[in-house]
Amino acid sequence: MIELKNVSFTYGSENGIEKGAAGGVGETVSNGSLNNINLSIKDGECLLITGGSGCGKTTILRLINGLIPNFFEGLLSGSVTINGQNVSQTELYDTAKTVSTVFQNPRSQFFNVDTTSELAFACENQGMAREEILRRVNRTVVEMQLEPLMNKSLFNLSGGQKQKIACASVAVTGNDIILLDEPSANLDLYSIGELKELLKKWKSEGKTIVVAEHRISYLWDIADRTVILNEGQIIKELSRPQMYKLTENDLHKMGLRTNKDCRVKPDNDTELVMPDNDTLSSSGNNTDLSSSGLTRGSLSKSNILLLQNFRYKYKTGYLALSIPQMQIPVGQITAITGNNGDGKTTFLNCLCGLGHRSKGTIEFKGKTYKRKARQKLVYLVMQDVNHQLFTESVMDEVLISQLEPNEEEAHKILASLDLDDFAKRHPQSLSGGQKQRVAVACAIASGREILLFDEPTSGLDYTHMLQIGKILRDLKALGKTVIVVTHDRELIEECCDNEMKLLDYSKK
Amino acid sequence: MEVLCSDKKKSLLDPRTKLLLLIFVSVFVIGNAGGDAAAEFRVILNYTPLLFLLCARRWRAFLFGVIFYTFAYAFAVLLMPHCKGFLNFLILAMTGIVLRFLPGILTGMYVVSTTTVSEFICAMERIHVPQTITIPLSVMFRFFPTVAEEAGSINKAMSMRDIKFGGKKALQMIEYRLIPMMTCSVKIGQELSAASLTRGLGGPGKRTNICKIGFGFCDILVFLGLGAGLAFSILRACGVL
Repeated sequence: MIELKNVSFTYGSENGIEKGAAGGVGETVSNGSLNNINLSIKDGECLLITGGSGCGKTTILRLINGLIPNFFEGLLSGSVTINGQNVSQTELYDTAKTVSTVFQNPRSQFFNVDTTSELAFACENQGMAREEILRRVNRTVVEMQLEPLMNKSLFNLSGGQKQKIACASVAVTGNDIILLDEPSANLDLYSIGELKELLKKWKSEGKTIVVAEHRISYLWDIADRTVILNEGQIIKELSRPQMYKLTENDLHKMGLRTNKDCRVKPDNDTELVMPDNDTLSSSGNNTDLSSSGLTRGSLSKSNILLLQNFRYKYKTGYLALSIPQMQIPVGQITAITGNNGDGKTTFLNCLCGLGHRSKGTIEFKGKTYKRKARQKLVYLVMQDVNHQLFTESVMDEVLISQLEPNEEEAHKILASLDLDDFAKRHPQSLSGGQKQRVAVACAIASGREILLFDEPTSGLDYTHMLQIGKILRDLKALGKTVIVVTHDRELIEECCDNEMKLLDYSKK
Repeated sequence: MEVLCSDKKKSLLDPRTKLLLLIFVSVFVIGNAGGDAAAEFRVILNYTPLLFLLCARRWRAFLFGVIFYTFAYAFAVLLMPHCKGFLNFLILAMTGIVLRFLPGILTGMYVVSTTTVSEFICAMERIHVPQTITIPLSVMFRFFPTVAEEAGSINKAMSMRDIKFGGKKALQMIEYRLIPMMTCSVKIGQELSAASLTRGLGGPGKRTNICKIGFGFCDILVFLGLGAGLAFSILRACGVL
């Protein structure tokens, strides 16, 4: 039994802003603080907590696992208890014996470097006997079919595989309360399916599960109850029958994602490319493109971007990408989909001409571009935009992107993205969504014709997803060719003209 | 248990032996302890990490070491006696840097790349190092590769935005690289510690460890070798030999 009584919390420093808080056009940034929350979660219940970005979902989880106030400091009032014990006054290592957490970012939730020790880590900390730990690890490995992932370096796993290890390490502890903080943010449809099965299994074992999540569709038939937050307050509590009555429109009105399972449209694709037979025999991994929604006939040479002989080989000789030929329509928005680990990121690197291992040419408006030349034709807005903001002010950021610094022009670009008020701010002081728009402003300023987006909507709520959709359509209106790598079905329905799917033939 | 032990590549040395090796290389090669008396021992210590890198199949690091050592020794022995003044100084400085620091770096690389975090913690517990020292050190194993990953992404962003070294922005380059590095490192550091704390790190009870470490034949060889070298150098310094 978890109980939150009259809980209010405000983050002490800027801890709240650091996470999530997408901060849309002209709105005030909500910072994840809570205001008078009353919530009780029964043993064995599966509770879904949802709401817009910065509404306080994560804050509730941090209260339950004790990170607030033991790690994140701030003003806390009210009481949080688990089975009658006050969590806020319990040491974290004691709370860890009953509560386990799966975090959002797969890059930063592991302590070890290899998978096997990672699974044993939590139990080792509790001082369990070595044989007992090995027995538990073995059982979990068998149950979750993790044999292929054992004894590997965590740095070599894909996002989906890392999340699987994170879930497995929770399973090894055997704790009764499991918290998940946006576990699906970096997962593809297939991995989400696996996650769903795991949650069902945990539920049948009688575990108490609390999930904070934007993408609610996969949880809709698992959750016993849904709590919707807004600005740190519970605005709605839905029991199972009430959840079924709720329509997609009701959810959208509250700024929430759809509850419908987004299925990929039936495959009546025209195969644009046939895999190269030579590569098929010489290597284990081939990537194939099939596309839906466009046919070869409708494309003339002037309005396609032609990719030829795209290849990417790892140091180890592993062929991660092999695309003999691919056509992308110019001046439209094209979505590139595919499962985790099927080469989407590699494809983007190759398209940008990053890394000397990228091979292949692209033909654009009658000109052929080799690897180096592509770097000046293509602009990538990265998934973690923190990596591409360097300067002291938003204005500088735009100016160094221009071929010839032109302040007037820069102001225009910023104004078109509602960023003009922030021109003098330090980019790193902005919220996630604002940073993303600064990156887009730089892309426009660079004057490049082809703009790429890597997972622009991961971890965003419905409202902010729509904003990204609008930005993409605006870019299209400017005559840019937009290519989006995404898992987000709703974004694809919202704004993409075409969809192409990367497939790994060696896995089929 | 079959799953866990099946394809585990066991490292040649015990983590404690590796640490001892690291200390010897630091003291004798980087610290230049013993001066002329330990000259031969120092040459042997220079080549020891190469041998182990070869055993651990780290081909690139091995080749790198061989090439640099060869050049440095060749310069020092063949070229330096014939040069005078500034050129002599230049060669001395270059070979000095290579021969002093490279062995330490290579040994460090060997230790980090062949030791898992839990082996390291286990070894530290055996020699009774308190947790307050062990845990920050063990976080390093993870933190540096993570930061390297971040640096890779930032590099990509730089080359895509066509910001390269040279030209009028040369000084700003360092700043451009450092700012995203710092914000990302701070954020990752915070997330890493939050995640480890929720999994019970730092409790007062005794930790267990699933990995088994212990001294083997190679460890004894290394101990004997280091001991002999040390004894030889001391005797030499006292003027016995």
